[in-house]
Amino acid sequence: MVEMKNVNVHYSSGVDALVDVNLRINDGEFVFIVGESGAGKSTLMKLMMRELVPSSGRVFVNGYNLSKLKGNRVAKFRRSIGVVFQEFRLIQDFTVYENVSFVLRIADQSGKYIRQRVPYVLNLVELAHKAKSRTKELSGGEQQRVAIARALANDPGLLIVDEPTGNLDPKRSYEIVGLLKEINRCGTTVVMITHEHELVRYFGGRIINLDKGTITFDETIGGNDENE
Amino acid sequence: MRTSNVSYLVKKGITSVWKNFVMSFASFSILLVSLLQISIAVLVMTNIDIIMGNIEDMNQISIFVVEDITDAQLDHIKSVLNNNADLTDVQYISPDEGKIRFNENLGEYAEIMEYLEENPVPHSFFARVKDIQRIRPVVTAVQSIDGVEEVRAPYDFASALQNIRKTFSVIVIGVMATLVLVSIVIISNTIRSSVFARRNEITIMKYVGATNGFIKLPFFVEGMFVGVVAGAASWGLTWFVYDSIFSLFTDNFTLWEMFGFFNLIPFDGVCWTVLGINCAAGALLGAVGTIISMGKYLKV
Ligand SMILES: Nc1ncnc2c1ncn2[C@@H]1O[C@H](COP(=O)(O)OP(=O)(O)O)[C@@H](O)[C@H]1O
Ligand SMILES: [Mg+2]
Repeated sequence: MVEMKNVNVHYSSGVDALVDVNLRINDGEFVFIVGESGAGKSTLMKLMMRELVPSSGRVFVNGYNLSKLKGNRVAKFRRSIGVVFQEFRLIQDFTVYENVSFVLRIADQSGKYIRQRVPYVLNLVELAHKAKSRTKELSGGEQQRVAIARALANDPGLLIVDEPTGNLDPKRSYEIVGLLKEINRCGTTVVMITHEHELVRYFGGRIINLDKGTITFDETIGGNDENE
Repeated sequence: MRTSNVSYLVKKGITSVWKNFVMSFASFSILLVSLLQISIAVLVMTNIDIIMGNIEDMNQISIFVVEDITDAQLDHIKSVLNNNADLTDVQYISPDEGKIRFNENLGEYAEIMEYLEENPVPHSFFARVKDIQRIRPVVTAVQSIDGVEEVRAPYDFASALQNIRKTFSVIVIGVMATLVLVSIVIISNTIRSSVFARRNEITIMKYVGATNGFIKLPFFVEGMFVGVVAGAASWGLTWFVYDSIFSLFTDNFTLWEMFGFFNLIPFDGVCWTVLGINCAAGALLGAVGTIISMGKYLKV
């Protein structure tokens, strides 16, 4: 569960990225966060993974009060969620396999489990054949899919994805969102940030619209895929 | 943490040495040069100190007694000298012994002595002044003993040597402090830029939930590995350089011995100590330097 209470984020550059945001996302939901570039979507995501703490207000995720987390409890919290960053944040010198296996090492999984799990998640994003490639040799779209595989590796209860289709062609975009929907059906809460309205209209679900740092719309709409 | 994951991190640290070869090599070279400089400086300076000690050991005074000395007077002088707390190694030299020594010093000219009817060498004593700084009062005291004719002491030499030694200790402290300081600055800069090159890697690890310890361990191993290799290499080089200097002096030993070049430390004698210290210092500088440089990238 994600809960924000009277959250404001003021950057030292003078920008008010979020203004009095109140929000609650229950376990098992699939939520699209939409809005124009610069609306504060990534800032919202950074709050959810405790990359940022709000200037004022409180953020709770999976029972953690994020403003109060310190030291290795931050690490423990981050391991309990999966995040796909808008700029991927993959370790360029690692192979694809290592980028994914690394988070399993962090979670102290056994070598046996790691050897099964990594090919499994790479297969979900159709990158099993690139396991041994160096990450920096991949295209933007491929790196984006590695980032998704890494976020899925630890089978998190909450998955936050920031513009996961930004570098993908339309066909692949639909496949990825389909995959996220599938994961959501298995019980994972998914928060997907996007500015691609067609995708949102196609899949439907709960949609939160951000505009200049404030929530202007928060409703559930029906999608096309359910009508099919 | 599972042992399999610990050994993964250790392995990761060692493979990082090759993956980041340019940076590892830079750290290695800097550590090598610093450790080499410092160990050579320590060895050379220790030797200079030994040499000065050797020269200072020539703190011998010679005491010659009056010609018509009685046995009672001789015994008196002997006991006064032996009871003087400032003196050690008091040695009585009879005229016959004195003659033999004199002959030895004369070498091939010794036969000159054979032409003399009487032994010209007086009864004498040799003694060492424990603290060369007290040489003047000691000589005055000895001179006043009944029956003492003359006391010879290396005054000028003693005071000159004292000054040199004082100056030398100041120089040693200055040189060592500068070397250590400069080394630390250069080493930390090198390591810092090597960590800087990988700051993204560090912050990404933090973002996906790695603890500081988990991130630090491979870097620690890597820094330590580079440090130990640099320590071992600097040991080998120190050995070579030092032995070259050492043989310069020992090749002409008798000549140098006159100037106090004896009891020099042979490398074999300190071989393992130097290896141990260099590797330990390298490991410490490498590992600790790396961990300290990582600090700010871990705060995300
Ligand atoms: N680290 C930062 N420092 C200063 N301003 C920032 C920073 N990150 C984002 N901003 C600003 O905050 C606003 C919201 O940014 P962001 O949350 O990235 O928007 P979005 O993801 O919706 O495009 C923008 O005006 C952006 O320029
Ligand atoms: Mg964004």
